[in-house]
Amino acid sequence: MDFWLQIVANGLLLGGVYALSAVAFSLEWGVLNIVNLAHGSFIMLGAYLTWMLFTSPLRVDPLLSAPVDFALLGGLGFLMQRLLLNRVMRGQFFLTLLLTFGIDQVLVNTGILLWTADPRAVTPAYSSRSLALGALTIPYTRLAVLAVAVGITVALASFMRHTRLGRAINATGMDLDAASLMGVRLPVVFALTMGLGCGLAGLAGAFYSLNFPFSPQIGGDLTLRAFVVTCLGGLGNMYGPLLGGLALGMVESVASVVVGSGAVDATAFVILVLILALRPQGLGGRAVA
Amino acid sequence: MSLLEIRDLEAGYGAVQVLWRVALRVDPGEIVTVIGNNGAGKTTTMLAVTGLVPPWRGEIAFDGRTVHGLEPPDIAGLGLALVPQGRRLFGAMSVEENLLMGAYLRRDRGVEATLRRVYEILPRLRERRRQLAGTLSGGEQQMCAIGRALMARPKLLCVDELSFGLAPRVTDEMLDVLVVIRAEGTSVLLVEQDVELALAVADRGYVMEGGRVVLAGTAAELYDDPGVRTAYLGL
Repeated sequence: MDFWLQIVANGLLLGGVYALSAVAFSLEWGVLNIVNLAHGSFIMLGAYLTWMLFTSPLRVDPLLSAPVDFALLGGLGFLMQRLLLNRVMRGQFFLTLLLTFGIDQVLVNTGILLWTADPRAVTPAYSSRSLALGALTIPYTRLAVLAVAVGITVALASFMRHTRLGRAINATGMDLDAASLMGVRLPVVFALTMGLGCGLAGLAGAFYSLNFPFSPQIGGDLTLRAFVVTCLGGLGNMYGPLLGGLALGMVESVASVVVGSGAVDATAFVILVLILALRPQGLGGRAVA
Repeated sequence: MSLLEIRDLEAGYGAVQVLWRVALRVDPGEIVTVIGNNGAGKTTTMLAVTGLVPPWRGEIAFDGRTVHGLEPPDIAGLGLALVPQGRRLFGAMSVEENLLMGAYLRRDRGVEATLRRVYEILPRLRERRRQLAGTLSGGEQQMCAIGRALMARPKLLCVDELSFGLAPRVTDEMLDVLVVIRAEGTSVLLVEQDVELALAVADRGYVMEGGRVVLAGTAAELYDDPGVRTAYLGL
């Protein structure tokens, strides 16, 4: 019994990592209709920024560098949207796909040039400590990721609903022309949304670096996971990434025991296909008439 | 001075020209209607005025300023609001959130007061204020679209196909609302296929055919025009 409780706890904690990684991806896709293939590389940049600050003479704690990552990568995302992606927003979907793929390649190769392809890790004193709850062992860093994922999801949902800018972002995601008629300046809202998304990806990178080793090539896998989590959780629901992340984490955790670690990815994708076959809008998404 | 003055407006989509030298005006305090069959160019005229379709040639002046070539947010900021065909509500937002989006450009402290006034004019919206706009009935959606436009406190309200898909009773209710709005100082430009209804509330009107204005006059003149009576009123 304790063994299975631990598996469930591991699944929830892993789900927190996935959810935190996917919140921004889902926001960008839902509002801007951009499947941002550079998303994972922004998480990678967040991880490296955290590592640089941690290994600097100041030895900045990763929890303190997370807001710095948010601000710097948010600014970079804003500029990326304003200078590049806004030029093709009214074009065909594949143009943004192609452009973000190109940006991803630039970021990965710049990362290799700057930091080499060697894996790095951020290991503050508390990174190996765990909370013991009876027979359960819960690493503090994983618990922090889950707490931040829930906190950011709730804060983002509240921001989108109760603030003027949040409502404008929401409206833009639903109907570009109608939002424009209300006075929303679409290029600015596009850039702010991408800035927010890339900032959150940077913040996710800070927490990623606390939990996993990383190299400049981690982005591809992270983007794929974020894509799966967003499909699972469903677009159009701010809580979708949390739901999808927890579902994927749980499936992977249980699958690693039942079918073995070699078949975890295959099992997760089979279950994704099954869930989407039964509920195409995802677990938390709205059905489209 | 006219509130809205369109001269020699030409516009279209891609290479296809839809409007040919369209001219019309709306004076302060007027309800002006544009009538015509499907494909006459009524909606394109509305979209050109609000900036959603860029004009090719001609001039559009609103409140003494040329708005030709301005973006929709700039035109909205001058006091021109559109109730678009098909309503274009934000379906996954509540009624009240839709109404607040209508006041997006306002920075004054009067938004709450305008919201209360919209609820007075359209009391059904108060009852439904927490409901998702996408789940409203057709009539309630039209009320929400009008309420959303009124939240901007526009000088000119452009309404595209007010009666489309509505029961006659609901359409009458909506027309009464337009009369109230006009009495409170907002001019109305109404594009409508139901000619009898449109002429019943309008001060003046224009008839469009094939992208051109073919007839203009007061509502009474248009109602008595033999061509209008035969083509649009079935008399």
